[in-house]
Amino acid sequence: MDRAFQRTQILTNHLLRSSPPSPLSSNACLSYSPPELSENNAFDVEEMRNLIDGHNVEERDWLFGLMKQSRLFNPRVRGGKVFVSPDYNQSAEQQREMTWKRIEYLLGRGAFERWLTEKGEEIEMRRFAGFEVFSIYDHSLFTKLGAHFFLWGGAIEFLGTKHHHEKWLRDSENYLIKGCFAMTELGHGSNVRGVETVTTYDSSTGDFVMNTPCESAQKYWIGGAANHATHTVVFSQLHINGTNQGVHAFIVQIRDADGNICPNIRIADCGHKIGLNGVDNGRIWFDNVRVPRENLLNSVADVSPDGRYLSSIENPDQRFAAFMAPLTVGRVYIACSAVYQSKVALAVAIRYALTRRAFSLKPKEPEVLLLDYPSHQRRLIPLAARTYAMSFAANYLKMLYVKRTPRSNKTIHVVSSSFKATFTWNNMHILQECREACGGQGLKTENRVGHLKGEYDVQSTFEGDNNILMQRVSKALFGAYMAAQKRNKAFKGLGLEHMNKPCPVIPSLLTSTTLRCSRFQMDALCLRERDLLNRFVADVSKCKAEGKSTQQAFLMCYQLAEDLGRAFSDRAIFQTFIEAEATLPAGSLKDVLGTLRSLYALICIEDVSYLRYGYLSVDNGANVRREITKICSELRPHALALVTSFGIPDPFLSPLAFNWIEANSWSSV
Amino acid sequence: MASSQHEQVLVEEKSFARILTLNRTKQLNALSFQMDDPNVKLIILKGKGRSFCAGGDVAAVVHDIRAGGWRAGANFFMKEFTLNYLMATYSKPQVSILNGIVMGGGNGASMHGRFRVATENSLFAMPETALGLFPDVGASYFLSRLPGFFGEYLGLTGARLDGVEMLACGLATHFVPSAKLPMLEAALCAVDSSDPAIISSIIGQYSERPSLKEQSVYNRLDVIDRCFSQKTVEEILSALEREAVDRREGWISTTIQTLKKASPTSLKISLRSIRVGRLQGVGPCLVREYRMVCHVMRGEFSKDFFEGCRAILLDKDKNPKWEPSKLELITDTTVDSYFSKVKNEDWEDLKLPARPKFNLPPYVIAKL
Repeated sequence: MDRAFQRTQILTNHLLRSSPPSPLSSNACLSYSPPELSENNAFDVEEMRNLIDGHNVEERDWLFGLMKQSRLFNPRVRGGKVFVSPDYNQSAEQQREMTWKRIEYLLGRGAFERWLTEKGEEIEMRRFAGFEVFSIYDHSLFTKLGAHFFLWGGAIEFLGTKHHHEKWLRDSENYLIKGCFAMTELGHGSNVRGVETVTTYDSSTGDFVMNTPCESAQKYWIGGAANHATHTVVFSQLHINGTNQGVHAFIVQIRDADGNICPNIRIADCGHKIGLNGVDNGRIWFDNVRVPRENLLNSVADVSPDGRYLSSIENPDQRFAAFMAPLTVGRVYIACSAVYQSKVALAVAIRYALTRRAFSLKPKEPEVLLLDYPSHQRRLIPLAARTYAMSFAANYLKMLYVKRTPRSNKTIHVVSSSFKATFTWNNMHILQECREACGGQGLKTENRVGHLKGEYDVQSTFEGDNNILMQRVSKALFGAYMAAQKRNKAFKGLGLEHMNKPCPVIPSLLTSTTLRCSRFQMDALCLRERDLLNRFVADVSKCKAEGKSTQQAFLMCYQLAEDLGRAFSDRAIFQTFIEAEATLPAGSLKDVLGTLRSLYALICIEDVSYLRYGYLSVDNGANVRREITKICSELRPHALALVTSFGIPDPFLSPLAFNWIEANSWSSV
Repeated sequence: MASSQHEQVLVEEKSFARILTLNRTKQLNALSFQMDDPNVKLIILKGKGRSFCAGGDVAAVVHDIRAGGWRAGANFFMKEFTLNYLMATYSKPQVSILNGIVMGGGNGASMHGRFRVATENSLFAMPETALGLFPDVGASYFLSRLPGFFGEYLGLTGARLDGVEMLACGLATHFVPSAKLPMLEAALCAVDSSDPAIISSIIGQYSERPSLKEQSVYNRLDVIDRCFSQKTVEEILSALEREAVDRREGWISTTIQTLKKASPTSLKISLRSIRVGRLQGVGPCLVREYRMVCHVMRGEFSKDFFEGCRAILLDKDKNPKWEPSKLELITDTTVDSYFSKVKNEDWEDLKLPARPKFNLPPYVIAKL
């Protein structure tokens, strides 16, 4: 009866055009109430943004502005606001042309100035900021720039020597040369050492001859190869006088200045993809391609004119590791950009949850705001805490990278592998949760959240498959353990110093105060890492004692390896959170970060591994979960400020984050 | 601020509209803050005499600061910016009739409203950088939303626009010949609606779409975009100098001369303000501009505002001695400090007045 009455009332109101009653009463038409007018910022969102963006904030705003003000970035007005996002309804061919036009525009405005021709911390941080901003606009833009600048440009920088730098870097920075990076083959991805492309040296002519000997050796997924690239770095086996010297990198021209494919090169398209259709991924075959001798990137090894192989690194394993340097920086870029996608999705989902209502608790009462449901808070707010944690960790990783020394290479490799895998997995999880939290609206491409899943899924496997990267992390930890044990020395590096201290003890009853204490949180994370490392070493040793090789033993112990990798990541990320918090003076910013830090720690400790390995009693497990719900409701009033601090400008979010009623009104059809 | 003994705003109550006439012709209708009267359905705002409103009474502000310290100046701007916010978020449409000079604070009183009617007498400018100030009154919001990088051009150079140019770039929503203004006013007073579509169509009945003069800078938007999109003021200047060599067009060298005459500090903080404002809602823009203006009043990093007022408004020698005198002497850290909170006891950020949470028109919600 109630329902029938309500409907009649609504109809009567429409017919009589009487002035509507309070918009919150259950029978009025819904009206959009901007969250800015009802939510208060308890802390300075600009300061928070500066803290979590960490660097080059002015540069970021300039780049955002460059994109917002140009027609090339497809501005559309929805609900009275301008949004910029590519038109994903265009054909892949059209999207590729648009990506290229956007790059030309940014180039003309000086967005890439000094990106390749200058070295040092300042320019590297600026480049990081640029890539993060471009990734917020479109993953294709990020990826196409990434293939050119950090893969092609990085290969020349890291693997080439002075004459390569002089010859190629300036022209690449100005896009007189468009580069790509041909490493992956149909038959070999993560296992780069297995690539089948073969290059031999012809001492009679003084140049190399490159071949694709079989179909599985075709280069695959080469970003930029299908339409635009003029040059590529090719990873190929190098055969000298019948001896395979392993994988080396060569510069090969694949198109002339007019865009015609060079002789003896065949190129085909990789076809339509689940995302990144604005990138022209291609496949390449080489048929006796002649490559000048000086095009061997020779920082590690060289071939003399008479055909002798010369290398400063005798050990082929170490030689190969040196070739992988450009991929390390790629992982840093990918990890950092993943965090920004989580920011976009959370900003949209939380802003929507602050304006969308569903169901009344009692008849005739106003419907309840999505974010006022404890369950909805529980879904989204911990993800915001995780994203804050990842932001600090990303800033740490960038600093680690730009301040690199030969001694820190190992740490950079381990941390970048671990963070790349963890952030990109977290991101996919966050995107899915946010998509569902937006309901059906999350399915519209223009609302971004759902679409980002297709666009960013690739991050789990490119620049190293996440599972393989995490196995490498565990192996590195194993190595650190064995090194410390063998030399009977203390652990040093990778944050493992806690292994030198007595094993932390978790109190048998976890109170709210304990659960929010950073000391306890760190202890709990260290305890798990320590125990899993001990177990992993024990299990691997056991396998070896049973006669298996070290490699076989690692393969057998993959379950522990996975848990250990995760434990390392969680603890390392947490460490960066604590350090960021410590830099702040007492005040509202520090207070809210302390609460977020506790929430992040507790969702790590809530992980099933704590029960699986018995670090927490069932009762304490319940205490942790109860505390999480409490913190979620404490952070609820800060929700808007927390996502505003992500610093994603309105035009780069989506209509759903703002006046979604007006954006869908008949007058806007 | 010299408070007035006379009525500064004439208010006429019509059946559906309220007409506010800015009436201090002596100070070129210097804007004061007695115009906030929210109990109306449709607001028509116009000027009297040869200007709409030439801006806040800067000379009086400087006088007040000399007498009562920077707080007196800050107080003036607090009230003015609060009024700008109320106008930007007012739930009934405001029609501003810009039949004359509209500068500085006059833009703050009109550009945030829903409708801006230009005429053949309109003359627009945001000339603050020549005074040692920066485009305020929410200009970092409305300038930054003009096409391309035209907002940077207007805000940094203080370039003047006529009514046709205002219409072309979007500062004006309509162009009505001044002869038709009495009829337009009468028609607006008879509108029984706050629906912007209806009001727009009524203004449309009197509107024309005149074409730009051939030499209008708005025809050179491509050059303006290339130069004023550059990252820094220094780079903007060198881009202009490169263009000047290539094209030898008079407006380019005028632009370079104007930029070289403006306060270097003003140029740098203005550029940053417009760039940040482009990505912010109108409320945060005004909060930030209030921080900036407090720093300017305090003269902690530069006293250019006082020097500019001396040279342009008081002594009128038009020869300000800026300090720092060169762009390269102003570090990023100095620019940053204009955007930080003022470190002074009991100083507070601008508090935006509460607005109704429901039933604000969509064009208002979109600005938040």
